[in-house]
Amino acid sequence: MSQQLDLFFKPRSVAIIGASSVRHKAGNDVIRNILANDYSGEIYPVNPKGGEIMGKKVYPAISDLPHGIDLAVIILPAKLNPQAVRDCAAKGIKTMVIAAGGFSEVDKEGELLQAELERAVRETGVRALGPNTSGHVSTPCNFTSSFFPVGRIPRGHISYIAQTGNFATHTMRYISTFENFGVARVVGLGNKIDIDESDVLEYYSSDPETEAIFVYLESLKSPRRFIEIARETTRHKPIIMLKGGATASGSRAAGAHTAALASDDRIIEGALKKAGIVRIYKYSHLILAAKGLSAMPLPRGNRISFLAPSGAMLVTMSDMCQKFWNLEVPTLEEKSRRRLQEISPSYIRMRNPVDIWPSAMVHGMDFAYQEGMEAVLADSNIDAVVSILLINDETGVPDLQRIVDVARKYPQKPVYVAFSAEKKHMEPAKEFLETRGVPTFPLIEDPFEVLSILVQCRKYMDRH
Amino acid sequence: MTKKIDEIINNARRQNRKILSEYESAGLMTSVGISMAKGILAQNLTDVQKAAKEIGYPVVLKVCSPEVSHKTEKGLVAVNLPNEADLEVAFQKISEASPDKTGGFLVQEMVKGERELVLGMIRDPQFGPCVMFGLGGIFTEIMGDVTFRPAPLSETDAREMIGEIKGGKILDAVRGMPAVDIDSLIQCLLAVSRIGLECEEIQAIDVNPLVVQGSRPVGVDALVLLR
Repeated sequence: MSQQLDLFFKPRSVAIIGASSVRHKAGNDVIRNILANDYSGEIYPVNPKGGEIMGKKVYPAISDLPHGIDLAVIILPAKLNPQAVRDCAAKGIKTMVIAAGGFSEVDKEGELLQAELERAVRETGVRALGPNTSGHVSTPCNFTSSFFPVGRIPRGHISYIAQTGNFATHTMRYISTFENFGVARVVGLGNKIDIDESDVLEYYSSDPETEAIFVYLESLKSPRRFIEIARETTRHKPIIMLKGGATASGSRAAGAHTAALASDDRIIEGALKKAGIVRIYKYSHLILAAKGLSAMPLPRGNRISFLAPSGAMLVTMSDMCQKFWNLEVPTLEEKSRRRLQEISPSYIRMRNPVDIWPSAMVHGMDFAYQEGMEAVLADSNIDAVVSILLINDETGVPDLQRIVDVARKYPQKPVYVAFSAEKKHMEPAKEFLETRGVPTFPLIEDPFEVLSILVQCRKYMDRH
Repeated sequence: MTKKIDEIINNARRQNRKILSEYESAGLMTSVGISMAKGILAQNLTDVQKAAKEIGYPVVLKVCSPEVSHKTEKGLVAVNLPNEADLEVAFQKISEASPDKTGGFLVQEMVKGERELVLGMIRDPQFGPCVMFGLGGIFTEIMGDVTFRPAPLSETDAREMIGEIKGGKILDAVRGMPAVDIDSLIQCLLAVSRIGLECEEIQAIDVNPLVVQGSRPVGVDALVLLR
């Protein structure tokens, strides 16, 4: 299995069936994407018109292709796909990405067509992704089969499995243009006639390029297998999952209490816990938690400290830590507390969480944030630190290099940043900090929510 | 699985039933190692009285028929009967009220405990046999404080399930009651997990309530549905 999927993720050559010379057509964008990512393998465009596309010789028919191509990306109208699969198989191509929609997701006719496509895949013994998929991404191989203009996709160690077209398309575009982390592999599953979430998870599980796995699923094709693979995987790699789709309440075998209470959602909940998969509920966490994990290690535990320039933030975030996030805001060691007291005016009694405003008023922003963060990071009661930076023209932007330096001094402990005050300083600060390994988050709750997710990942890893 | 389970299931199949009686269901649970309230099946008043003597007062008297559900609501259960006279009165009342007496009457040990749990199994179309654990008795449906896991359960899975119900504090030493024997509880969950895996003919199981007597969980009522 793993070897077969290697052809998807490490193709040495690719045929584009339905290549197009017309700008903004899917069969054109796919080649543009492959080139934008500096793919070094051979590209074989196929189109009955022949000629050249972006300097590549176009083959008029699949039958004209040379033997031994690793992967075919088929971008043809739905009804042409079953034959294209057979033709590619006849040329010795063993793996394919089938992009077209118009199958079981639309109507009865589409269902029949999908059955025909499934037959073609089964009878030829090829491995197929899709149909109705936006493709996949494999940055270690500089490759993508996405037909959405994604541009160059940054390389990293996060991998996605998504039962939606948007990950290998506009979400990739968002990550590559707005965030400062990269991905290893991304797969849009489509209608899953052959390759399903369990196959991909199994590949990611032993993939050295993948350090954490994010999953968006609406249905499971082989639920028990998925849970079994995940249970093994979560011993060494975090899996974080958003389950989409309405949850029907169970009335499967009325008469028994157990049956009446067995809603799909409760059963999924139990299955994910068994597998050690951390369940999330917010779409944005698929990106924000990936950012946190990319830049910093998993927290060792749930004991956090945070610094904020506002009493209200200190109080409300502390409340939320306890009530919703399963994060502890413990008492500091005496030496750290004393250090905080030293850098603050004597009228305020310093403790965890840290009110950084009085110190900043006396000693300035740079000193206050650096010393405050250092004090809590050095504390052995603390597993992670959130710093809410006050940035604006009048009080200034705290010296960001100092924040980077202090975070680097404690590489075992995640340091996350959020902002308050003036918008115009936030984007440059985000850019500065993130490109130097300190992740920032748009809303002040976000870093805490991400820590809460990652603490759960750590718990699952430790339980084995 | 065991010979006893096969016997119970085969007997129900011969009678073309998909629902096991309470007596059969309890027997099935006992055979896999779950403690159930002691019970004796009787067909008439004389036998009922004999059974009560054997079990020892106070006792519970219930009609025992796979056809009759919601026994409490229909007045087909009398609990905490202290002596023979009260037992006879209860017997007459229940006999009159019951739509079906062919299954006989179940005389049962009166299990005392304020804490009621529920234990169950359901064969899910996606995940296969899943074990359920939660708050039982009258709170089962009202609170819906239950949690599921696909079988097979490891001891860690069972422990996590027990730890994650919202009302989990009632398992601690509270209001003068001792803490629940968690290891016994784990064994109950594991037993249900095993039945789910090994007995494919069973569609669903309820042990409700699973009463905490002192610190030990004891099943007081059980229901087994066949596929």
